[in-house]
Amino acid sequence: MKILIIEDERELARNIVNYLSRENYLCEVATTFAEAMEKTGSFHYDCILLDMSLPDGHGLEILEQLKKDNKQDGVIIISAKNALDDKIQGLKKGVDDYLTKPFHLPELAARMYSLLRRKQFDNSNIVRQQELEIDLWAKSVAVNSKPVALTRKEFDLLIFFIGNKNRVLSKSTLAEHLSGDFADMLDNHDFVYAHIKNLKKKLNDAGCRPYLKTVYGTGYKWEG
Amino acid sequence: MKNLLQKSLVQYSVFAFIVFALSIPSYFLLVDRIWLRELDENNALMARRIETEFNEQNISDEKLAESIQFWNEIQPGSKIETPGRPFSKDSTYTVRRENPYSETEITDRFRGLKTSIKINGQTYTLIVETNVEETGETVGYIAVLTLLFFLILVIGFWILNRRLSGKLWQPFRDTLQKLKSFQLSSPALPDFEDTDTIEFAELNATLSKLLHHSMTAYRSQKEFTENASHELQTPLAVLKNLLDILLQSDDLTQKQYGIAEEMNKALIRSSRINKNLLLLAKIDNSQFDSSMLILFDTVLLQSMEDLQTHFNEKNIRVVSDIAPHIEVKGNSSLTEVLIHNLLINAIRYTSPGGSVRVDLSKSGFTVANSGQTSLNPVLLFKRFSRLSSATGGSGLGLSIVREICRFQNWAIQYSFESGRHVFSIAFRVTPANPYHP
Repeated sequence: MKILIIEDERELARNIVNYLSRENYLCEVATTFAEAMEKTGSFHYDCILLDMSLPDGHGLEILEQLKKDNKQDGVIIISAKNALDDKIQGLKKGVDDYLTKPFHLPELAARMYSLLRRKQFDNSNIVRQQELEIDLWAKSVAVNSKPVALTRKEFDLLIFFIGNKNRVLSKSTLAEHLSGDFADMLDNHDFVYAHIKNLKKKLNDAGCRPYLKTVYGTGYKWEG
Repeated sequence: MKNLLQKSLVQYSVFAFIVFALSIPSYFLLVDRIWLRELDENNALMARRIETEFNEQNISDEKLAESIQFWNEIQPGSKIETPGRPFSKDSTYTVRRENPYSETEITDRFRGLKTSIKINGQTYTLIVETNVEETGETVGYIAVLTLLFFLILVIGFWILNRRLSGKLWQPFRDTLQKLKSFQLSSPALPDFEDTDTIEFAELNATLSKLLHHSMTAYRSQKEFTENASHELQTPLAVLKNLLDILLQSDDLTQKQYGIAEEMNKALIRSSRINKNLLLLAKIDNSQFDSSMLILFDTVLLQSMEDLQTHFNEKNIRVVSDIAPHIEVKGNSSLTEVLIHNLLINAIRYTSPGGSVRVDLSKSGFTVANSGQTSLNPVLLFKRFSRLSSATGGSGLGLSIVREICRFQNWAIQYSFESGRHVFSIAFRVTPANPYHP
């Protein structure tokens, strides 16, 4: 999988590469508008991470160029702009997803995972891990072909874990993911524990192996 | 309250009244004096004429005595007495006599002259009397006339006032009107009307200068907040990501993980404060579209569902009365933030086992949670003014709620009723009752 990271902050770009390259991702970095235009013009990427505000140009132009060239690259905008309306504007312009700085790398990884899965499979999009089967379109889960009823949050959590396989996810990161975009959230992160307990129990009851492990006392890791 | 011109009109009228009132006796004294002097002259003239006439007759003494007697009978206004001692000085006097021809008892005022005349070498005493206008009548006429002029003056003032306030004060009222509708966040300075009145021109110039300063200060403050928040986002992002990477190290000890997690929590909190500050700045800058139609009940139910786990966790009982199809005008994202913040607020400050009431009707939205004491409603909505020792909030939640309400022209109110903190939002604020912070 080829990923292009268009980000003028080198430190940030390096961290993203560092986190993502552990997966099956091949990451390239463009730190200027010119470089980005050149790269998007000559190569195809499975996913482009685009910072809208570049020193020598605006990310929007890159988007328009991609559209003009009829390129099917998936695009996730990473922006310092937090305006909620900006987000809607971006999504209208054919952007697949939108992340506001500062974000957690697992959050980015999960979004990219979902995006790449969506791009790859058109009709059915099923993730399998031995006895576990997750239908990303229908948002349903089955263990040994028997359906497991998960709440929206539990399903969301499961996808987050699947998108960050073999990674340590801290409770606070999960809490931030679950509480969404603009919640002035509570510092009490115990609700994460409740969701995870329920998810674990449901999967376990259905006969799923314990892929979800507790690490360092309050962290979690999905093994697969 | 009276306007400026009405106030001065009263003062002017009182002063004019005093002046006019004082003028009445002065006029009277003057007129009476002129009268009397004129009559004295007239009487003296009469006396000279009588003297001359008698002397020109060249009649004998007997005939003269007869004539004088006859004169005295037919000329009631004058009397010749014979013979008299000549006196060195004439005397004048004023006397009142009854009017013999009137049926009612009326006394008339007479001005008399007592003088000595010489007829045929013989000295006589002559008394000439002329009727004078009554004192009372004179005073009366003068008073009536003065009053009439006084009325003309007051009515004139009043009419002039109306015209002045209409014309002269027009630029002032224009300035006032523009100031009333002026807001610091508005894009441009109010354009004051040109005026050729020095005071108003000076006022407008001073106001423009003052407003310009305030606007510049306000704008740079807003810009600073926005820029600072923007600039902070990148380092925060770098820190956050480095922590994410740190957590993936294979040789991490439990203690190190604990430290990383604490750092993460603090970072999450600072990013939240930063995001909220940025949101506040954007609302201030009116960077949102507030003309969307939102189904409030749908958003509310969604938020309540999202937060259900938090209610459950603190064992908070939620009672709700949500009317269906409540359509409001505003910004959907902001409305979502508003609902979320109010609900989170209720969750955070309700003690475990407490209760929260959520009501939605056509007129408004209310969130009430159980509590002990009333909170200061002024400090409550202020940025970073935490009224409880409970930590964790960004200190901006309710300020954001207030700003969103102001932006969407809703009114928010806090009250403490029978052991509940009640936050009520009224949709569609009438202009007569706008919300003032």
